[in-house]
Amino acid sequence: MDIKQKLKQVLIEELNLEDVTPEEIGDEEPLFGEGLGLDSLDAVELVVVVQKHFGVEIKDMEEGRPALQTISTLAAFIEAKQQG
Amino acid sequence: MRMAILGIGICCGCGNGVEALRSALQTGRVAPQEVCLERNGEADRFPTYRSSVEELSEFIPKRALRRIDHFSRMTLLGACLALKDADLLEADRSRTGVVIATGYGTLKTTFDFLDSYLDFGYACSSPTHFSNSVHNAAAAHVSMQFKATAPSLTVTQFEMSVASALLTAQLWLAEGRVDRVLFGAIDEYCEVLRYCRQQFFTDGEQGPIQPFSFDQQSAVVGEGAVFLVLTKAQEYAPYGYIDSVRLGNHLVNAVELPQDDMLIVGADGHKECGRYYAQLLKGREATAYAPLFGSFPTAAGFDLAVAALSLADRTRYPNPAVNGCANDAAEAAGRQFSDEKISCLKFGPGGDYGLIRLSL
Amino acid sequence: MKQGVAITGLGCLSGAGMNLAESMQSLFRNQRNPQPPQRFSTDHPVSYPVLELRDGLELPLDMCETIHARTSQLALAATLEALDDACWDVASLRGKRVGVCIGTTVGCALNCDDFYRAYKTDGDPGLATIERYLRSNPAALIARQLQLDGPNQTVVNACSSGTDAIGIAAAWLRAGVCDIAIAGGADELARVTYAGFSSLMITDTEPCKPFDLHRKGLNLGEGAGMLILESEAVRDGKKARGYLLGYGSACDAYHLTAPHPDGAGLKQALREAFAAAQVTPEQIAFVNAHGTGTPDNDRVESRVLHEVLPGVPFVSTKGYTGHTLGAAGAIEAVFTLACLQRGELPANIGFSTPDPELPATPLRENSRVEGDVALSESLAFGGNNAVLILAKGDG
Repeated sequence: MDIKQKLKQVLIEELNLEDVTPEEIGDEEPLFGEGLGLDSLDAVELVVVVQKHFGVEIKDMEEGRPALQTISTLAAFIEAKQQG
Repeated sequence: MRMAILGIGICCGCGNGVEALRSALQTGRVAPQEVCLERNGEADRFPTYRSSVEELSEFIPKRALRRIDHFSRMTLLGACLALKDADLLEADRSRTGVVIATGYGTLKTTFDFLDSYLDFGYACSSPTHFSNSVHNAAAAHVSMQFKATAPSLTVTQFEMSVASALLTAQLWLAEGRVDRVLFGAIDEYCEVLRYCRQQFFTDGEQGPIQPFSFDQQSAVVGEGAVFLVLTKAQEYAPYGYIDSVRLGNHLVNAVELPQDDMLIVGADGHKECGRYYAQLLKGREATAYAPLFGSFPTAAGFDLAVAALSLADRTRYPNPAVNGCANDAAEAAGRQFSDEKISCLKFGPGGDYGLIRLSL
Repeated sequence: MKQGVAITGLGCLSGAGMNLAESMQSLFRNQRNPQPPQRFSTDHPVSYPVLELRDGLELPLDMCETIHARTSQLALAATLEALDDACWDVASLRGKRVGVCIGTTVGCALNCDDFYRAYKTDGDPGLATIERYLRSNPAALIARQLQLDGPNQTVVNACSSGTDAIGIAAAWLRAGVCDIAIAGGADELARVTYAGFSSLMITDTEPCKPFDLHRKGLNLGEGAGMLILESEAVRDGKKARGYLLGYGSACDAYHLTAPHPDGAGLKQALREAFAAAQVTPEQIAFVNAHGTGTPDNDRVESRVLHEVLPGVPFVSTKGYTGHTLGAAGAIEAVFTLACLQRGELPANIGFSTPDPELPATPLRENSRVEGDVALSESLAFGGNNAVLILAKGDG
């Protein structure tokens, strides 16, 4: 399964987004605020999700902020880290 | 200072809402639910009183509940039902204080948080579980849900949580810090709690609860949330008034029981506390309602709700049936009264007590 | 200005010192000593400095035998110091109506991770840690240990618990529910809070820098602060260490972990405290700020201080003590009173570079106090905000 698809699934599972399906989450849709509606607590939970499911560490929010914009940016970050 | 009780919200093993409690008091019977746990290859069967929180989605959209655990859901449901009962669901709550009493706080989420790092390493500690395991998380969810921006307080001290928290609620109203208080008492069941109670009490956790067999352990684990909407005494008090709240230690300074009050005791099948009731009552007539909702520290809040409902119905509800025996539940309709005071007494294992008086 | 509730004794211990005198010395010498936790370990890839007590705790022997939970030991140590400061011996409290109101977080949580680890691996762990937890509720335990008869309350309002406990105890005295109150907060450092705060990504890998441009988060600490409050009848002319003039608290009702961006709840708590104390912001000599060193907290707090108390000097003492959670508000109230009495304020250690986003900046150097009234504030998880207004004592 590609990273984006897996990301959408674990996002729904781990953040309890029962009312959303993976298909409904757009790759370029903002994760926070107006888009998917996540908030600052979800942001730090996402850091754990990425560590747990992809083995990739996000050191702090300086590093995390640009990665945690959309499914696409996060997938690219994970990919880069996994290859690096 | 007297506090008027404007509304009651109930979420417990006897069902949800005031009607469920009234019906349980009338029939004198609530059957515990059997739970079966597998542990070390053995099946452990035992009775429980559990709460259902499905009704909460009638009040709060599912999305808003996604990060909210069972403890806070019971809390929110109790609060919603109490506000509805008081016809205040739409009212402005900027001067409504939130006071929460809990014996243990949220248990399940506390252990969920430990799971997150014990299973996956400290780098995977879940911030969501951590934040929800903090004892005032439930109060925070209530304040957020109801836009209650007035003071908020959570008190955790086992059996004394209810009386202690109520004392502060009373002073907030007396000093005019708030116009109303949403007062809640909550405890929850979890598997680890079962393990501990079984280790402590072995068969003494199999029920049925026999509150007045003071020297016998006969508890059944329970959970639930009960809320009262309180305000400074006024002419309208559908459930009567809370007149006074007293805390102390019986071993330091013996409790003085009001002479003529009807007595509701928090005896719930715990031998360690039972001896104090035995000493004090010396055969005096009293009622105990633990068989309707189970044994847990903040069940003292349910005693208050029973007292309030008794005042509203002007009915002294009989002791629930024990062992299927009729007991004095024969007088199913209960005894009518016109002008009574009710005292609710709860002991902790160290002799500490809370004594709360109510009247019409 | 109101007369307020008399405070006749103070006690505190934390990473800054084992008692109030030692703590004041650290504060005014601008010394601190954060280091990786010594009392527990984790497999966390990053080590965060914390402020643990410098020395072992010394408690009366008969009490050591019955009190095993560290939070309660801390509470008891600060209580005994405060009682001594107020010239009370324990025996003479008996027969009086003495209330106990203590804030905590760890002291009430069933965070027994060693027990739980054994439970999870299908062992049959013994219940020693659970029994200790059941015996160690801070307020109940202090009341039982000192054989007091009166109300007691353990407040769990997260990081504002200590401040709230003091405000609540003062209300008990005003209402005549008790004549003396032991009020404050206590919290031990624990693996659970350490893991929790690092998961929220609000702990600094270096000594914390409250209100600084480069602040990254807090350092956890441990300790206790206790105050003895007395009714006028009981005090009977005894000199007061200070007075509690007013208390205010309010909830943001905004978010579980983030403060309201405009500090709505904090401003409301300040308004209530000013009204209760019958003082105006101009009368405030200084503020002991919450100042945890997290980006969000310090931004909101600086903005509110700039708006409500413009030009009033403020300092966060968390650089010296770390964030002691449920104890923080109580330790800081003790510091506030001691600084009023001393007429001097310590520098906000950790602050060097102003943040352009922060309109108000803390004291860089030890400074003289001009005035007799000061304010201590706490912001907490769950959106709780609590404020105490305190006045200098009788010399």
